[in-house]
Amino acid sequence: MSEQFSIFQSRPSRLHALHPVTKLVLTFCLLAAALLLPGLWTNYLLFALAILPLATLGQVTGPLLRAVWPTVLPFAISVFLIQGIIYPHGTPLFSLGPLTLKREGLLLAISGTGRILMVVSNFILFALITRPDTLMLSLVQRGVPGGLAYIVVASIQLVPRFRARAAAILDAQHARGLETTGSLRRRLSAIVPLVVPLILSSLVDVEERALAIEARAFNHPGPKTSLIEITEAGWERPARWLLLLTVPVSLGLRLWLG
Amino acid sequence: MNSLRKEFNTTTLVLIPVAIAINIAIGHTIYILKLPFYLDSIGTILVGVLAGPWAGALTGLLSNLIWGFTGLNPAYAPFAAVAAVIGMLAGLAAQAGWVSSWWKALITGLVVGVISAAVSAPISAYVFGGVTGSGNDALVAMFRSFGASVLPASFAQGALTDPVDKAISFVLVWLIIMALPMRFRARFPQGQMQT
Amino acid sequence: MLTLDHVTYRYPNTERPALRDLSLTIPAGQFCAVVGANGAGKSTLAYTLAGFVPHFYHGTLTGAVTVAGLNTASVTLADLVRRVGLVFQNPYNQISGTKFTVREEVAFGLENLGVPRAEMLERIAATMQLTGIAALAERSPLTLSGGQMQRVALASVLAMQPQVLVLDEPASQLDPIGTREVLAAVQALAASRRITVVLIEHKLEWVAAFADRVLVLADGALVADGPPAEVLASDVLLTHAAGQTRYTQAARLARAQGGWPANQPLPVTLPQAVAAFQAARP
Repeated sequence: MSEQFSIFQSRPSRLHALHPVTKLVLTFCLLAAALLLPGLWTNYLLFALAILPLATLGQVTGPLLRAVWPTVLPFAISVFLIQGIIYPHGTPLFSLGPLTLKREGLLLAISGTGRILMVVSNFILFALITRPDTLMLSLVQRGVPGGLAYIVVASIQLVPRFRARAAAILDAQHARGLETTGSLRRRLSAIVPLVVPLILSSLVDVEERALAIEARAFNHPGPKTSLIEITEAGWERPARWLLLLTVPVSLGLRLWLG
Repeated sequence: MNSLRKEFNTTTLVLIPVAIAINIAIGHTIYILKLPFYLDSIGTILVGVLAGPWAGALTGLLSNLIWGFTGLNPAYAPFAAVAAVIGMLAGLAAQAGWVSSWWKALITGLVVGVISAAVSAPISAYVFGGVTGSGNDALVAMFRSFGASVLPASFAQGALTDPVDKAISFVLVWLIIMALPMRFRARFPQGQMQT
Repeated sequence: MLTLDHVTYRYPNTERPALRDLSLTIPAGQFCAVVGANGAGKSTLAYTLAGFVPHFYHGTLTGAVTVAGLNTASVTLADLVRRVGLVFQNPYNQISGTKFTVREEVAFGLENLGVPRAEMLERIAATMQLTGIAALAERSPLTLSGGQMQRVALASVLAMQPQVLVLDEPASQLDPIGTREVLAAVQALAASRRITVVLIEHKLEWVAAFADRVLVLADGALVADGPPAEVLASDVLLTHAAGQTRYTQAARLARAQGGWPANQPLPVTLPQAVAAFQAARP
């Protein structure tokens, strides 16, 4: 799966072999835990005790860290500055010239970064171990409309092409002297020649593509079959139910301790 | 629910992934260039105006979820509900005839922008502490330096940037629809509404 | 068998009909070509035979179109797509956009039709072999060239086992060798399985080499109908700007300069041209 939009990495790991719905449930439960569980350092613990071991099991630790780091670091810096230093109220902890670090802000920054770390790494782990087409297939087999599955997978295939086209148009505009830096007005007027041709050229094909999928019996009534077979280990079903139990537990802990 | 089925004919179904890809391609370019807008809903608005509110809502929802769940920019996933609201409002505005000229599109964009800022603020404040790593964080910083707490600061940032962003987006969509041949527009349930 | 009975069709919001009072019958198993200038209605005819006119394009259709025993206006598109396969010009728009390997792409139509998996595997293997893409089975459709993608589209349609195959300028993306392979495969299939083939093509040399019969459209109406040797050599093609084969063109030039006997029929294929020019040597 080169050149795909989703960062899915194929690996012969036990984690990859899980049924897509199991992975979905796992991601959902981790997300609930990240957002609900109380405690300043809880999310960091979750990252170390849940995300990293899972990534190791899935043989994707390297890609995970490489994808998480550039997203979380700027956020951490921003939130530290904005919550910890710029906000004028709070108990001062430490001063360096005109800048004062406040205790409440620091705590907010720590918990905020922890939450972002968990949310981002959770989604990235999911993307690394899940094939989008088998995920959608398994959902369709459970009653999700085929049209929805089509939309999701088709979008995933289209995005890299569109990003390449946007980059090409941007390059062509630069070559013609269009500025994307500088005054706001200039940057604004750079947008129309970028956006409008990209969109109009992509709309031209829509009618023929609709014709093509109709010609391949897309709207044929009756149950569809599948070339790909998705496997599911026997223990996965009960395991999913057990996992889902963690959600009310997370909620309960928040209400009780939060 | 018959209008629901009509909104999702095959041509609409093919348009939606194209719109989602447009959202992500343009939105990501703007994000990387650190420009002070988002422009991540143009596809959503286009679908809403051409095909209807439900199609627009679905486009917005899926754009953000796909953007987040595929690992490109996980910060977008929690805002899926906001994107859905934008798509729905675009469809309703078109039905009410409020996207039929450039100045109407502008006003609609401003209004939708304010609403979207209001819906985004709590998500931004709770999930992200008001900070999303985009170029708009500087504004949040500014409001925080005045002593505003997180939620009002997030809303204030949104209220400054979102209406302009959505106004630009709606006018761009109006431009695009005017440039489309009538034969193509006629394939969509609301395609012939703007003249 | 395909029948058109006084068929006139107008696209929505247009005044000029795209098809004007067309009546014709194509027997099962015939390899029939449709030629004509741009805008003559060739693609519209293709869509009409496949039922996309009127079900996809709407508009006003009068007259009766009967395909594989069904009147296209009174059945649904779903009934028709199983029986009529359509391969059109732009290969990039014909892939489903949802499959990550060529094999899965070819399976797309079969999955939609609910074909059981075991049978799917057989059909896919057979059509990929026929169209020469068996080696591409695990490749991503997004990495294929135009010609490869066109073969995938053909394999996908053939896997659905239609009774009628409509090809709208399938050679536009293929090189001459590829075109010959593909058309020969289609011709063999037509003969062995009694599939009716309707080939829309403006490269007339291919029409001359493979078609049993040629229909000439001009402005939506049928202006000529007959075997290739006759139709492609006639002046009707020139009158309606439908082109000519290069062999016919050479012979016409020779005739204008007195190097061709006046009552000798004009050639439409290379062997005919070679034989005729050799015989005409003084």
